[in-house]
Amino acid sequence: MMKIACIPNLVGGHLGGWRHEDAFDRPVMNLEAFVEMSQIAERGKFDAVFLADGNGVRDMHIPALFAANHPSARPAFFEPTTLLSAVAMVTKHVGVVATATSTFDEPYMVARRFASMDHISKGRAGWNLVTASNAGDALNFGRSEQPREDRYARAQEFYEVVAKLWDSWAPDAFPQDKATGQYLDPARVRHIDHKGTHFTVKGPLNIAQTPQGRPVVFMAGQSEPGMELAARYADGLFGAGTTKQDCIDAYANIKGRMARYGRAPEHLKILPGVSIYVAPTAAEAEEFYEELQSLISPALGVHYLSKMLVHDLDGLPLDGPLPTNLPEETLGGSSLRRYILDMAKRDNLTLRQTYERTLPALGGPVFKGTPTQVADEMEDWWRSKACDGFTLLQPVQPRGLKDFVDLVVPELQRRGIFRKEYESTTLRGHLGLPDAPSVWNTQAAAERGAA
Amino acid sequence: MSKRNRIVLGVNGGALGGHLGGWRHPDSFPSTAMRLERMIEIAKLGESGKLDLMFLADGNGVRQMDKPTLFAANSPSDRPSVFEPVTLFSALSQHTKHIGFVATATTSYEEPFMIARKFASLDHLSGGRAAWNLVTTQYIEDAKNFGRDEHMGREERYERARESLDVVRALWDSWATDAFVQDKETGQYLDPSRVRLTNHRGKHFKVKGPLNVARTPQGQPVVFMAGQSDAGKDLAAYGGEGLFGTASNKEEAQREYADIKDRMPQYGRPPEALCIMPGLSCYVGRSTAEADELYEELQSLISPALGLSYLSKIVGFDVTGEKLDAPMPQQRKESLGGTAIGRSVLDMAARDKLSVRGTYERVLPSMAGNMVKGTPAQVVDFMEDWYHGKACDGFILSMPVQPRSLRAFVELVVPELERRGLRTPEYPGKTLRENMGLAQPPDPFLQQPLARQAD
Repeated sequence: MMKIACIPNLVGGHLGGWRHEDAFDRPVMNLEAFVEMSQIAERGKFDAVFLADGNGVRDMHIPALFAANHPSARPAFFEPTTLLSAVAMVTKHVGVVATATSTFDEPYMVARRFASMDHISKGRAGWNLVTASNAGDALNFGRSEQPREDRYARAQEFYEVVAKLWDSWAPDAFPQDKATGQYLDPARVRHIDHKGTHFTVKGPLNIAQTPQGRPVVFMAGQSEPGMELAARYADGLFGAGTTKQDCIDAYANIKGRMARYGRAPEHLKILPGVSIYVAPTAAEAEEFYEELQSLISPALGVHYLSKMLVHDLDGLPLDGPLPTNLPEETLGGSSLRRYILDMAKRDNLTLRQTYERTLPALGGPVFKGTPTQVADEMEDWWRSKACDGFTLLQPVQPRGLKDFVDLVVPELQRRGIFRKEYESTTLRGHLGLPDAPSVWNTQAAAERGAA
Repeated sequence: MSKRNRIVLGVNGGALGGHLGGWRHPDSFPSTAMRLERMIEIAKLGESGKLDLMFLADGNGVRQMDKPTLFAANSPSDRPSVFEPVTLFSALSQHTKHIGFVATATTSYEEPFMIARKFASLDHLSGGRAAWNLVTTQYIEDAKNFGRDEHMGREERYERARESLDVVRALWDSWATDAFVQDKETGQYLDPSRVRLTNHRGKHFKVKGPLNVARTPQGQPVVFMAGQSDAGKDLAAYGGEGLFGTASNKEEAQREYADIKDRMPQYGRPPEALCIMPGLSCYVGRSTAEADELYEELQSLISPALGLSYLSKIVGFDVTGEKLDAPMPQQRKESLGGTAIGRSVLDMAARDKLSVRGTYERVLPSMAGNMVKGTPAQVVDFMEDWYHGKACDGFILSMPVQPRSLRAFVELVVPELERRGLRTPEYPGKTLRENMGLAQPPDPFLQQPLARQAD
């Protein structure tokens, strides 16, 4: 079955999305709107809702872009583990995946928040491990920017500490026997005694083993060390490329690395991000797309592209080519940046054409058309082993999510490639992942063997 | 001018109950470890009694693993397996409408940016019911979960705490109330002139800001503290709005109350800007006999071995080898773990010439804090006496057996408090701040004219 997550970003995934007449009127700190989105996702039998995150306010130095707010800026939003803990109270099935960084947080704190969320949601929590979402965020933590290699070395050790902390207690550690007065069994908990390069953590975690054994771990890295880390430890991966061929290559590449860690390829679900413009007819979908493009002034489009490319393009002719002297690597630049540059070069795009192509999907792939056309494209990618499913971005919310659930989901179900009902109560179950490994199971197996 | 004309009441939200034997009582929850339903029930019960807030202590470590007897029995202040409090209260906010949520977070291991963010988020999620209980943490075992072999000394902890508080408050003041225009017509989502950088550069923290959360419904979440040391009292006078008091008798509470409130003017704060709430264990029954019976039942659930182990934890040194009927030893160790509670227990034992057994039996029912036992009228007499005697502004109630004790308080004591005019039958406000009678912090941007009003 195809796996589907969505990003229930209240401002939508298009730079002009929040201005559309069908968008939420007051998206800032709007809990009711977020609850509505999560419930629509659950009605559509999605595997999970997913929240990107960062620890800072961005683009203050580009006032025009800052004032207009683009979808990945998030100047004012809920802290994701608190928001999703609240959302878990008004949903029953859909997984709740929050982002937390290994660069500024402590492993003990991250292990705790996500274990807590897994208990609160009764087994629906996921952690999207990111290294550092934005260079400027470091300045909120008294640090200077870290080179990527260090960030990934720290991320790997961070993950290992968190996983060990989640395995502190045996599942049967809390007998809570009123008659004998034994609340817990001291033999069923262990120190983790981790001493590494970046962290020294004694443990144990002060939370019982969670309903999923461990919350599900997502990553999003497309860099070389990011892919390696995902192959080794991730249960899910957001984004793997921006074209079908990119995704096919990345899929084979990442899954091919898993064997060396003793992992089966199906134990990592790869869900690239895709923007959906769907309507009952192709003409309506086209019209919707154009409406949104018209909401962006050229000045704003250029600022936005400048941000995506980490290079100031202000003042350049709109109908001239992109400058050719942009540096290959930039700090804070991502694979998305490389993709946009490649696309502009390949298709010989002007500055205006480049931002117009970038706006509708933040530079990622776009599936546009009738429900059948969108389902065709999804099925094609999925059958071509470009992915195990998708992370959906909707240009205008809540319209985009509603339309997808009402128009595309039934078509996917009719084709037998997406679930009609939830078959499980946990996120791990929805994704078809194996039980989390645990030292306590290994110990029990050894004891059974000895007996 | 004080807007407060009622006793402020909070309940300690621990599902285990406040007596060491509480969880074993037949009227306690059948299980509590990671049971969300229990926490929802406590929050709803508290709200049905119009209590102002639910309070959760917290730590970042598993404690007493070196004392297997006590560890296996689980004392109410050890919390080997509990929800992370801010995520928990976020969940509870969806099951309640009025009760406030006081969650503990430590300035010793958490970054101010993270603290500011999660409490601001909770304030939005709960519609203005969030409070941060600022602690500095005194357990050495917790330090070992953050790469430190030893805990920082008290002076450094408090210095760091004060700086952290300043940074958190500055972050909460990042955005003007009206910063987010969200005008679809013009395309202006926010007003760049209505946000400011924090630009803090201090001894312990460098934080540029601004916070990525809009100004919260309460302006700023309420700040609680629990300090008993001189440094702690000073910090409370400087920046606390709620104080979990630890005085263990009325005279001590009166002295502390006067002492802390007297320190406030030097920080430019009126005394009513801080609400002092000592802990109070409450054993209430329809008759004194019923209250006594509950008390005795609970005492009988504790073996001497467990009692000695618990007493060792409270006083900060080992008494497990002592003879039960020998006088309580007065050994004092000036250690980092030596708390004001431990010192007051030793003082009590000396003053009342208690044996070792006599000491732990006195300590168990109230976790070494204050206790009241009797009929609803007797309980309210006690509370009224403290309140009118300027020993407190309210109480944080510890319930020996949950949910029985909270239910009994709501059914029996709350009506009596209302009858005497010490509590109101409805919540006076919408936010925790309003219910506690605390002023809304002014929005610093409101002093500046709106840029767009010029045109």
